[in-house]
Parts: sequence; structure tokens; C-alpha cells
Amino acid sequence: MIVEAVLAVTLTGALLVAVGPDRYAAKLATVVSVLPLAGSLWMWTEYAGEGNALLESGEVAFQTTVEWLTLGQYTLQWYVGVDGISLPLLVLTTVLTTLALVSSWTPIDERQSQFYGLMLLLETALIGVFVSLDFFLWFVFWEGVLIPMYFLIAVWGGPRRKYAAIKFLVYTNIASLIMFAGLFALIFGLGDSITTLSLPEITQAVLADELGSFAGLEPDTLKMFAFFLLFLGFAVKVPLVPFHTWLPDAHVEAPTPVSVMLAGVLLKMGTYALLRFNFTMLPDVAADYALLIAAFGVVSVIYGAVLALAQRDMKRIVAYSSISSMGYVIIGLIAYTPHGLGGATFQMISHGLISGLLFMTVGVIYNATHTRMVGDMSGLANRMPWTVGIFITGAFGYMGLPLMSGFAAEVLVFIGAFQTSVVPAAPLLTALSMFGIVIVAGYLLWAMQQTLFGSFELETDYEIGPAPIHDVASIGVLLGLVVLLGVAPDLIYETIQDGVNPLVDFAGAALTGGA
Amino acid sequence: MMGTTALTTLAGTATVPQFISLATKDVFKLAPAIALFPLASFFISLFLGKRMPKGGALAGIAATIASLALSVWLVIELAIGGGTYQETLYTFVGGASDSAVVEHTGVELTFGLLIDPLAALMLVIVSLISLLVHLFSLGYMNDEGETGLPRYYAGLGLFTFSMLAFVYSDNLLMAFVFFELVGVCSYLLIGFWFREDAPPSAAKKAFLITRFGDYFFLIGVVAIFATFGTTAFAGENSFVTMAADGLNPDVAAEGIDTPGVSEDTWFTVLGLLVLGGVVGKSAQFPLHTWLPDAMEGPTPVSALIHAATMVAAGVYLVARMYGFFALLPTVLAVIALIGGFTALFAATMALVKQELKQVLAYSTISQYGYMMLALGGGGYVAGVFHLTTHAIFKALLFLGAGSVIIAMHHNENMWEMGGLKDRMPVTYATFLAGSLALAGIFPFAGFWSKDEVLFETLAHGLGGSPILLIAYGFGALAVVLTGLYTFRMVFLTFHGEPRTDTAEDPETVGWSVKLPLVVLGVLSVVGGVLNMGVLKDIIGESNLFLHEWLDGATMDTDLGALSASHYSEVLEADYGAGYEVTDLSPLGPGVVALVFAVVGVGAAWYLYSGADPEPKMTRLGRVRTVLLRNYYQDEYQAWLATGLTLPFSRIADKFDRGLIDGIVNGIGTVSMVVGRQFRQIQTGVVTNYAALLAFSLLLLLFAFGFVGGWF
Amino acid sequence: MTVSVEWYLLLSAAVFCVGLFGILVRQNALMFLMSVELMLNAGNINLVAFALYWGNLTGQVFALFLIGIAAAEVAVGLGIILVLNRNFDDIDVTEATTMRW
Repeated sequence: MIVEAVLAVTLTGALLVAVGPDRYAAKLATVVSVLPLAGSLWMWTEYAGEGNALLESGEVAFQTTVEWLTLGQYTLQWYVGVDGISLPLLVLTTVLTTLALVSSWTPIDERQSQFYGLMLLLETALIGVFVSLDFFLWFVFWEGVLIPMYFLIAVWGGPRRKYAAIKFLVYTNIASLIMFAGLFALIFGLGDSITTLSLPEITQAVLADELGSFAGLEPDTLKMFAFFLLFLGFAVKVPLVPFHTWLPDAHVEAPTPVSVMLAGVLLKMGTYALLRFNFTMLPDVAADYALLIAAFGVVSVIYGAVLALAQRDMKRIVAYSSISSMGYVIIGLIAYTPHGLGGATFQMISHGLISGLLFMTVGVIYNATHTRMVGDMSGLANRMPWTVGIFITGAFGYMGLPLMSGFAAEVLVFIGAFQTSVVPAAPLLTALSMFGIVIVAGYLLWAMQQTLFGSFELETDYEIGPAPIHDVASIGVLLGLVVLLGVAPDLIYETIQDGVNPLVDFAGAALTGGA
Repeated sequence: MMGTTALTTLAGTATVPQFISLATKDVFKLAPAIALFPLASFFISLFLGKRMPKGGALAGIAATIASLALSVWLVIELAIGGGTYQETLYTFVGGASDSAVVEHTGVELTFGLLIDPLAALMLVIVSLISLLVHLFSLGYMNDEGETGLPRYYAGLGLFTFSMLAFVYSDNLLMAFVFFELVGVCSYLLIGFWFREDAPPSAAKKAFLITRFGDYFFLIGVVAIFATFGTTAFAGENSFVTMAADGLNPDVAAEGIDTPGVSEDTWFTVLGLLVLGGVVGKSAQFPLHTWLPDAMEGPTPVSALIHAATMVAAGVYLVARMYGFFALLPTVLAVIALIGGFTALFAATMALVKQELKQVLAYSTISQYGYMMLALGGGGYVAGVFHLTTHAIFKALLFLGAGSVIIAMHHNENMWEMGGLKDRMPVTYATFLAGSLALAGIFPFAGFWSKDEVLFETLAHGLGGSPILLIAYGFGALAVVLTGLYTFRMVFLTFHGEPRTDTAEDPETVGWSVKLPLVVLGVLSVVGGVLNMGVLKDIIGESNLFLHEWLDGATMDTDLGALSASHYSEVLEADYGAGYEVTDLSPLGPGVVALVFAVVGVGAAWYLYSGADPEPKMTRLGRVRTVLLRNYYQDEYQAWLATGLTLPFSRIADKFDRGLIDGIVNGIGTVSMVVGRQFRQIQTGVVTNYAALLAFSLLLLLFAFGFVGGWF
Repeated sequence: MTVSVEWYLLLSAAVFCVGLFGILVRQNALMFLMSVELMLNAGNINLVAFALYWGNLTGQVFALFLIGIAAAEVAVGLGIILVLNRNFDDIDVTEATTMRW
């Protein structure tokens, strides 16, 4: 029942904060958000699940199943629970939300109760996405994320907020539709062999080859068709090049805390869903098109990084580099090796923390300077030493500096991807994608040199001093987590491995002939 | 993987008395602390430095003293009978009991300790120089009233930690981790004076270029892990041993996974990939351009990082996994060629520089070229020997330059100095000792090591490797230039008449500056005793201390695959590099090299020794311009970054916003335009709606009728 | 004598067409309303006629409902016309075109 409790507390909190007065909204929301945080951490310590939730051997932790209503042959359920893949993401969500809420104290000064209410609503939906194991329920949460996100960007955003918000909404919504069609192709193809829409049941039925033909498509064609619809749908969310253009706009216009949630958690929904649906349900199709998928990953890594080079807006830089980082996840996932899948999942967590850290730090700087443009200012290190110190460290983390989480994640992905036999020419593709670590160093170092160093220059009619203590504290905590996971990746990597290993055993063995 | 490997069990053989065995155990248990002391000083300086006297320097000094003491103790323990020692300290990935990772991949990623003569020697060098640099900084930074001292000492501490941990790494992954950390520390320290424009830019360049090298290194690490399932340096299950077994037709090798190419081709690729990191970090051509720029950092930092230790990391890495490189003739040839060429190439540029530290910077590049030359040429001991002596005399020269810079109020232009010899005698004497060592004049430390480098290359080259002879030619030629630029620097700085008021009346320097100079000066004079290879025939091979040390001959235990003699064996094996040694007396080549060096020094004396020397290099005309502009290496690299990559990224950005986003927006626009057209039928006039309704109804009726077959 | 159902249908169609014609050509909102009533009643005629034809009362009951709905609709319609008059000083339906895009 802990999952329900977390969801209920967050949702109730969201409503309370939304109707409460503006004066208390910020602090109240932060306090409320500590409850799901505590809940998820408790789940972390008590976690006793085993294996992958979608596969037969998996034991789902904190599971609840309640029948809800029956539609034709299908019973819709309230079916929630976590495994080694979703639990770290759940904790990531609650941790980032709390920190994002703290980082909202300074920049958000109007319609506070609505803002904080929506943030908590967003958290509810995100938690829901990661804990749902019934497709229908999952889809409700999946779409539910869009609503608060739309308003958060459209109301509290920058000058082009309406454009960005509608672009985000329409783009991801169309993607959802495509993905929905893809999954329903599978569901209809399965015909009578399933009676609920629970994801484990669908997965196991598909894997057991119970797929019949549907709408004149043979099972194999149907699988391929479903795979590509699902892939397309999730690729937008990840986002993979060339479906990425909503992301920079959304990031640039969104207020800092929303950017943090967007980069930190929302993008992970895409890769999480890819892992859950495409790569778990249809491993044979994935293996058939491994080269294409890996190429998507490599192109995203390099192209995203190259684009980041050309940007002046620091938020745009981080946004494009997020595209680059998420490319690594794809490369890791398609490898179907323990370190590939595990490293990719680790990269989701790591990127969540590091991109959150960078967005927050850029936000802290923006709060003080009211500009994010590289070239508009220089020498910030003179005025905000601790913030700048954390920024530099975080940026090095983003470049994959050893003993920070990005390095652990990337090295694991590289090792996993390098030795896979699923992808043709894997060593070459991996080596190519690794060039991203050079480009990322290029633009981050350039941006840092321009903005942080040199003599202090910025035209303002007020004095710029150190950032408020709570801002520094929140980025400090995040940095601490990044370093902690970088020094001791085992803290979460074991759990992740436990979740992805059955997949490697099942799919990997079948695909690579036991290699 | 399993705590202490087979290597350690060799340490406690029966011949060793019980008390030594115990003592051995103790110091090896303490060995991790060699790196951890400076890590502690990093935290102390960073967070408490402001409240401490000397801005955290004392913490750093205490830590490096402790590290040095432990390192020396290690050396002693090794010498009196402790064997090599390997221990897994920390499991990075897969450390949990019944770990799911290990269950599936069968491998853990670990951090461990590998103490052998090479590592112990390097630990002493690094901690010694770090200690002296800390002391020197008291004079250079504290007394000069710099701000941000806690940051400075924290940087030094973190650097020392990373470097020491790199040195005792027992596997390539850990080595990479600390290799990168060392690079970051370098970034932080080069950019220490971040309020100015040049240092941050130099820091960025240094990090980027070494990162470019590390990119290949990282591929190498990943590929080695994927190929062998391990990155361990030593032991039965190390990749070095596995690679040797894989190439050795007499041994059945298992567990090597090459991606569809033959083993020797693939190992060569692996070797070249790792070499990428080495070339970047050790500032070899063509990735050397960051090092001269890195002189923007404080001078003690230049001494510590960009001369004695961090730049040594690349060369040290080659020495560390020499058992692997010794298998690969192509890679060795590349190493030797790069080294020899860099030695000559950098020396030419050093000829025309006007700033004291610039001369030293190019000289550093050149000297690391010699080390690469030695390692590539099959002279493992020679490479390590030159690494050792160079660390000492180059640190000395940089600190000496620092002393001059203090005296000259941070003016580095040699043409504005002159005559400092009488005004700062201690600095002069020690600097001269360092210069003689650098130029390779008998009997200073550099003479012995450089001669051995050249001798080894020549010996192996004459044994049937013409490429080595070319590399030797480069190296020998560079000896002349080394003598020339070194003494040009000495004469311009210290001799003649003072050419400016500051040089007339330089600032005095304190004991904290002089003490490190004296220590290093003495070592520069006597350091050659370690390995007087030139006199091998006279003093006997057993008196080549460094050789014996690296061969494990001074120890009770067998070094096995880590010993110098094993490396020679591999070098000469058919499955290895296939080098052959000619029977050549070291005396002849030694004399030749000495003559070359003397010619260089003499030329400098001839050109610059007067009371008021003229700029002579201007006679080189356009050649001088080319040299001053560093062969336009910076230009083309800057062009690669800003002239090629940046415009390319801008085009990509245009493409992205124009085409890809254009399509997205286009779809949006089309929908909107179509909608705008369609809504025209909503006139607002009810009658029209009714007409439309009626008309549609009729249409439907007809349609149904038509389909239903009424007509 | 019984009138056959075709005649009722013809009547209904005729009334419907009259109503439709009114809607299409009239501009006065009151005439509009009347025309709509005519069309509704054409429907009523159909219902009653078929009820008679099948001997089933459902149609007649529905006719009663329809009459009720028609009354309500007239009330709403008249309300709209009053508002229309107030806003546009006229009850010409072609004038009131503000409720478009």
C-alpha cells in the first residue's frame, strides 16, 4: 500500500497547495514533497523484489492489484508495483521534485499556489508512470504528465512560452497516439490470449509467441509494425534526433524548476518506456533492426553535441547536450548486454541528476543576472564563488569526469555496447559515439570560460552577490548525489542489474545464441 | 579480484625472517594512505583553508611529508625483501555480496594497489616534488599576497592525490580514472588566476587537447576490457599476460575476444588507442600545443604538473604496461618515432622563445620525447631513468624560474633580465646545475639518463630496426639544440649586465624558495649515480642500481612479468617486438652524445655570453618567425576548433532550426492554414448552415440510394 | 374509409418542405422559428401516421413528447430572439454573424 500512499499524499498535497494561499505555497509544497521522498526512500530500503517485473520470473515489490472495470474481454486493473528498473527512477523523481521545489522559491513569484500545486501534480503523474504495471493505468499517468507540464510552461515560462508549450503538448501527444496505436496492434493481435491489459501479461503473451494475425497482418509483420509505432512514439519523448526539436524550445521557455523536471525525469519516461515496451516485449524485432536503432543513438549523441556547440543560451546548451546524453541510453539498451542495459538505466538516473544540477545552477545564475546568454556576462566566479564552484564541478560531471556518476554510467554503457553481438560493427559505433565526450567538453568549457572567468562584467543596476543559501544548498545536495553515485555506483547499480538481468538472460541469450 | 593475488604470496617466502614479513605487511596495509593523505589535505584546505594560517598550505605540506615518508618506507621495504604487492582496495562495480553484476558478467570493476619497484620509485618522485612545490609555494604564493590560497592548496592536494593514486593503480580503468582527474586538477590550477583572460583560455585548451587524447585512451580501456575481460596490469589474469599468451604460439590462450581480426592486428589497435592518451597527456606531437599555454598557471604548478609529474603520467603509463607494448613492434616504432620527432621538433621551438617559462615548456615537451623514444626503442630502464632525472632537474629549473620571476616582479622576458647571477647566487647555482643536467653535460644527472636513452635506441636500431635509427637521429640532433637553448637561457637570464632596473635590483627570495632549490640542485648533480649506464663496462652491470631495482634483482623475490629482464625477453621474442640488440659498448655513443651537448653549449656561449648579448636568432629570418609561431601548430588546431567545427556546428544549427524544426513547424502551419480555409464555411448566417444541412442530407440520400441500387 | 399511409407521408413531406423553404429563404427570426415548428410537426405527422399504420401507440407517445419539446424549444427560441433583438436592434438572422471563428 506504500505506493498508493505515496500517490495519494502527493495528489492530496497538490490539491491542498493549489487551493491554499500563495504565501505558504512554496514552503508547504516543499514540506509535502518530502513525504513521497521519504516514502520512496523507505521503499528503497525495504525493497525485496527480484528480477524484471514484466517477465515471468520477476517478483514485483510493493504490488497491489485491484480489478477496476471490464471492457469487453479485458479487465482493467489498478496494478502497481516496482522492480529494479523502476525503483531508482521513482527515487530520482521524488528527490528531484523536492530539490526543484526548493529551487523555485526564488524565481517563482506569481500565482505561487497554482505553480506549486501543478508541480506536485506533475510529481504524482510521474510517480504513477513509473509504478503502473497495467497499460491502461500507465497510459492515464503518461498522458497526465502532459497537463501540468503544459500549464507550467505556458503560464510561468519565458517570452515564447505559448509556442513552446503548445509545441510540446501537440508533439508529445501525437507521439502518444502513435504509441497507443502500436500497443493496441499488439493487444488486438494477441486476441483471446490475454484477459487484462496488465503489462506483464501482454509481455509474456507476446514473448510466448501467442500473437495472431490482425487486420490482415501476419504476426511477424504485426510485431514489426507495433515495434516501430512504439519506437516512434517513445523516440519523441526521449527525444531522439530527428524528433527532438520540441525539447530546446520547451527548455528555454520553461522556468528553471520545470526544466529540471523536464530534463531530469520526463526524458527518462521515454527511455524507460522503450526499455519496458520495445526492448522487453519485442527483443527479436529490436535485434533485427539493431543497427538502425544504434545508428539513431549515435546520431543523437553526435548531432546533439554538435548543436550544443553552436548555442549561446546556456539552457539551450544543456538541452541539446541532454539529447546527446540520451543517445547513450539508446546505445546501451540495444546492446542487450548486462552492462549495456544496466549502464543505460544507470545513465538515466545519472543524467537525471546531472542535467538537473546544471539546469538548477544555470537557474541560480539567471536569478542573479537575468540573462543566460554566453557572452552577456563574464567573471561570475568573482561574485558567486560557491555557485560557480558547483557549476564547474557539475559541468565536469557532465563531461564524464571519473568519480562522478556520468563517468560510471558512460563507461558501463561503452563496455556493454562494445562487446555486444546484437549490433553489427558495435565497436566502431561505440567508438564513434564516444567522441561525444570530447565535444561535450568543448562546449561546456567554452561556455564556462566565457561566463565564469575573466574580469566581472555585466550591466545591471543592482549589485550581484552570492546566491541565497537554499539555492546553493539544493545544488550542493545534487552535486553530492552525483559524486556519491560516481564513487559508489553499486548503490543503485546492483538493483538495476537485478532488474535488467532477466532480460539479458531471456532476450540476450535468444538473440545472440548464448554468447 | 580476490584481494591479494599470487604475486603477494611470493612476498612472504621462507627466506624472509618473520619480523620483516610483518613489517612488510604493515607498510603495504598503509600504502593506500600515500594517496589519501593529500586527499584529506584537499578537503581541509578547501573548507578550512580560510581559517588556517598560510591558507591551507600547512595541511598540504603535512600530507606530502607523510606521503613521502610512507613512499620511502615502501622503497626500503621493497629493497629489503618485500616483493611486489597487489591488493584490491575498493570494488567500483559489483562489490556487493552475491552481486547480480558479478553473477552475470563474471567481472568486477575494481580499484586496487600495485606496488612494485616502478610504482614505488614514482611514488617517491611525486611525493617529493609535491612536497617541495608546496614549500616553494609558501614563497611564491603566500609571500606574494595572492588571494584564493585555499583553492590553490586544495588544487595541489587533489592533484597530488590523483597522481599518486594513478601511480599505484593496479588496473587500466583505475589508471584512466585518475589520469582524467589529474587532467581536471591541471585545468583548475592552470586557470587559477581566473580573473585574467589568458589562464582560463589556456586551461580550457589543456583540458580539451588532453581530452582528445583521452578519448582514444577510453576507447582503449573499454576495448581492452571487452577483449580480455580484465584491465589488470599484473598477475596471471592481467591483460598484459593474456596478450602475451595470445601472441605466443607455445601457450594456449583463452578468453581473448577479438572482433573478427587477427590478434596481433587487434592488439596493435589497442596499443595505439591507449597511446592516444599518452600522447595527449605527455604533450607529444601533435597534441603538445597545450603545454606551452599551460605556463599561464602559477610557476610552482608548472613545476609540479607540467614538468615533473602530470606530464609524466603518459610516459609512466607506457612503462606501467610495458609488457603489453613490448609485444607490438608497430606500436613501439610509432612511440619511438613520435618521441624522437617531438624531441627535435620541440627543441627547435625552444631556441627562439623570449620568456623563461616558454623555453622550459618546450624543453619539457622535448625531454618527454626522449622518454618516449627510449620506451619505443626498447630501453625500458632508460625511459624510467630519464623520467626520474628529468622530474628532478625540470622541477628544479621551473622552481628556479619561479624564483627569478619573483625577483623580477613577474616579468618573464629574458631580454629584460641579465646579470642575476651575482644578485641571486643560490638560485643561480642551482639553476646552473639543473641546466647542465638538462643539457646532458657530464657528470650531471641528465647526462647519464639521456645517454642511456640514445644508446638503447641505437643498440636496438642497429639490431635491424631502421625506424629506430631515424628516431635516434632525431634524438641525437636534439641534443645539440638542447645544449644551445638551455645555455641561451642561462646566459640571457643570469650572465651579462642587467638590462633593466628590475634586474638591477631584484626582489629577494626567502628560505622557502631556496630550500627546495638546494634539495633539487643536489639531486640533479648526483642523480646520475642511480644508473651510470655509460660506464657499464667499467663499473659492472650489477652497479646499475636503477636497472637492478627495476629488474627486482635487489629484492629477495622474483618480479616476474614486471621485471626489466622480462621486458627485454618479450622485446626480443619472436611473438613480441622481435628487437635484436647489437653488441655495442655504451662508451662510444656516450662520448658522441656528450660531444653533441658540448657543441650546443659552446654555441650558446659563443652567441650569448657577452656582457650585452644581441638577439642572434633574428638572423634565421623567416625560419625564426615559423619557430616563434610554433610551426603554426596552434593556428591549425585553433582553426580545427573555431574554423571548422564551430562553423560546422552553426550550419548544423541552421539545418536543425531550418529544416528539421522547419518540417515540424511546417506541419503545424499547414494544419493551421487548412483549418483557416475550412472555417470559412462557418459564415455565421444560420440560413447557410441550414442550406448546407439540407444539401448534405440530399447528398446522403442520393449516395445511399445509389449504393442501395434505387437508381 | 381509411386513408392510406402514403397520403400522410406526402402531407408530412410537403409540410417539411414548406418549413425547409422557410428556413432557407426567410430572414426574420420569427418566421424561422415558425418554419422550424412546421418541420417538427411534419415529423409529428410521420410518427402518428406510422403509429396508426402499425397499430402501435409508441409513435403517438413520442409525438406527445415532441410537442412538449417543441414548446420548450419555442420558449428557448423566443428567448434567443429577444436577446437577438436587444443586441442587434433587429431580428434579421443574416445580420447576426458574430458567432463564427
